[in-house]
Amino acid sequence: MGLLTILKKLREKERELRLLVLGLDNAGKTTLLKRLNGEDVGGTSPTLGFNIKTLEHRGFRLHLWDVGGQRSLRSYWRNYFESTDALLWVVDSSDRQRLRLCATELRALLREERLAGAALLVFANKQDLPGALPAADIREALELDSIRSHRWRLQGCSAFTGRDLLPGLDWLLDELGARLCPPD
Amino acid sequence: MKVKKSGGAAAAAARTEEELGRKALIGPDDVLGLQRVTSDYLCTPEENVYKIDFTRFKIRDMESGTVLFEITKPAASEREHNDRKEVDPNAGRFVRYQFTPAFLRLRQVGATVEFTVGDKPINNFRMIERHYFRDQLLKSFDFEFGFCIPSSKNTCEHIYEFPQLSEDLIREMILHPYETQSDSFYFVDNKLVMHNKADYSYSGGP
Repeated sequence: MGLLTILKKLREKERELRLLVLGLDNAGKTTLLKRLNGEDVGGTSPTLGFNIKTLEHRGFRLHLWDVGGQRSLRSYWRNYFESTDALLWVVDSSDRQRLRLCATELRALLREERLAGAALLVFANKQDLPGALPAADIREALELDSIRSHRWRLQGCSAFTGRDLLPGLDWLLDELGARLCPPD
Repeated sequence: MKVKKSGGAAAAAARTEEELGRKALIGPDDVLGLQRVTSDYLCTPEENVYKIDFTRFKIRDMESGTVLFEITKPAASEREHNDRKEVDPNAGRFVRYQFTPAFLRLRQVGATVEFTVGDKPINNFRMIERHYFRDQLLKSFDFEFGFCIPSSKNTCEHIYEFPQLSEDLIREMILHPYETQSDSFYFVDNKLVMHNKADYSYSGGP
């Protein structure tokens, strides 16, 4: 194998990204994955394990890992931290009662050493529901402005309708792409 | 997690089924070195101690969004009630696929598997799937699932560009049903625990 081939292989490897999709149960993680892949989003049932999607997008090979968010499953999240490039935190913006819990769980993840280098994309999901809090309120409830440890962005969206998913993902890929290939 | 893909050229040292048959423990590098489909299973159904059970396979065409193929099977617990007299111990390990010639001209497909695991956690679950036409390796897919939660149900959809095949090869594959074959090997902590096989027809009928 020539040097050029080796370099090419290294580069291909570098352009693989592992995106970990977490959030409380019923946040819409699986629906988000399905929507991104043009799948039927109806009839989604609670995830009792993981759902993985691997796909090409903008020249990257993305590996999206959606792990179930039920309380009994959250203790297993740590098994999926290794080599994570970005954390996608999905919030049910209509679930006012559990916003505090949602904030606490996110804080705990941001303290994890193995997620230290990961970028953070927060999806304020379910913006299509009449009772949904606007993204600005989610930003406040999760105290995102106090985050210093991670590069982050908040994106209001609806996984169900597909609205505003791509701007979030585009920010993420710009962010991660800049890290992989710094401008000359 | 590591995803390794190799094309025609095998990265691992060449291995034959006979060599592997003499080994007590078969690992990923062993099957990555195989040059053709195996004639027999490289492990017994009893070696699946983690009770990994594949419950759904689905293939969809990403361009049209249509589901081209979907097969589901009831969970193992339900199956045992129905057929007390197990006829063929390998029945659950082999699938025969029948496609039309158009299948070979797809550009981008999404292949989904769904599986359940038993009540023990699995630390490092990895699958290696190798597709051949006769003795030619068409595609080798290598994916590390890593950790699996006890008693979990999991899915994985791999969306990929269909390998570009030459016109000659396509013609041969259509003319010779079931000479396109695959081996799916599953490893827990680098030890082979499960081996499934499939064969394929593209001639458009049984």
